[in-house]
Amino acid sequence: MNPAPFAYQRAESVQEAISLLQEHGESAKLIAGGHSLLPIMKLRLAEPEQLIDIGRIAELRGVRRDGDALVIGALTTHRQVATDPAITGAAPLLTETASRVGDRQVRNRGTIGGALAHADAASDYPAAILALEATMTAQGPNGTRQIAASDFFVDFLTSALQPDEVLTEIRIPVLPGGTGWSYQKLANQASGYAIVGVAALVTLDGDVARDVRIGVTGASPVAWRAAAIEDALRGAALDEAAVTRAAALAGEGVEMLDDLHGSAAYRTRVTRGLMQRALLEAAGRARG
Amino acid sequence: MEISGQHRFSAPRERVWELLLDPGILQQCLPGTENFVEVGPEEYEARMKIGVAAIRGTYQGKVKILDKNEPSSYRMEVEGKGPAGQISGDASIELVADGDATIVNWSGNANVRGTLARVGGRVMQPAAKMIVGQFFNCLEGKAGG
Repeated sequence: MNPAPFAYQRAESVQEAISLLQEHGESAKLIAGGHSLLPIMKLRLAEPEQLIDIGRIAELRGVRRDGDALVIGALTTHRQVATDPAITGAAPLLTETASRVGDRQVRNRGTIGGALAHADAASDYPAAILALEATMTAQGPNGTRQIAASDFFVDFLTSALQPDEVLTEIRIPVLPGGTGWSYQKLANQASGYAIVGVAALVTLDGDVARDVRIGVTGASPVAWRAAAIEDALRGAALDEAAVTRAAALAGEGVEMLDDLHGSAAYRTRVTRGLMQRALLEAAGRARG
Repeated sequence: MEISGQHRFSAPRERVWELLLDPGILQQCLPGTENFVEVGPEEYEARMKIGVAAIRGTYQGKVKILDKNEPSSYRMEVEGKGPAGQISGDASIELVADGDATIVNWSGNANVRGTLARVGGRVMQPAAKMIVGQFFNCLEGKAGG
């Protein structure tokens, strides 16, 4: 199906994009790679009257190191995220996550900023972004602000971005040495979306886990940190028995999605299984 | 599609009943409502610009209120038609007094046709829950004021 009629304007700078958003209000949508927005427009699930193309704004591209943080421009494509050596060096969890997004076409066109702003419950990134404790930079009419990952994913398809704000960059604190990572995902065979995706980071101190961080996407209307499991494992030896025992409690008290791709009970079981695998792989990599 | 949920109001049951069935309040609290008209006894038509974030469309809808059992329960028959499909369904609303507060239990069964039915399955249920949540939060504000 073809999308409903819309007007198109290209913004040459973030400032210009913000003014256009203010001018057109709710009827406008930003477009970058278009791989979340265009499919829902073609299905007429979305009918924005005005598209503002930010896809060629140079200041939103690229990856750089800023002290102890890695800074990724919002327009960086999934493929660039998956292949950039600076990201692989400092945040291999993100490399692994980006390489599992959608299919090749989506990875070549879609952008990390677009995926995060769309805040799809089944998107891959939120799991890693939560575990990495990344910070999103948003620019609006009153300047820029930093939004912590834990505040960014608000609800189903809803991020903390205001209607007149542009997500400009993602800042990721570089992890200490001895940190292992893993992203485990059960993908929908048709769309590549995560029915459940679990990202884990494990920092070891000898045999004992000094830090454990787990992000879960796909399972619920909004991505979450498995804080109770993290607390249970911090300070513990991450052998198979301990990990299995802790992961068996994942999803308790969490609202699970229940739809034609999987019932809530199924998603809970898958979450526990993937969490066990992710923790064991991350612990293995932390050991080196 | 079946959905259900619960909302707690810090207001007595009679007050919540009044709010839930007041056309003026409904018009203000149903998200994105334009052109709300009473077309018969306990029957309303409205145009609603409804959705979550990018997924949004304008729906022409009709609501009929049935089986009123003041102040504890009623039913609604709902029909809607929009660019991405048609929805018809019914909902049961139950008000339970809890001291000075009221617990509203709601459940609905919707029959969805068109694009929404084919591709919307992944987004519809959480979106519907969010919209109902916005509605109740708005009512809650009115109950306090």
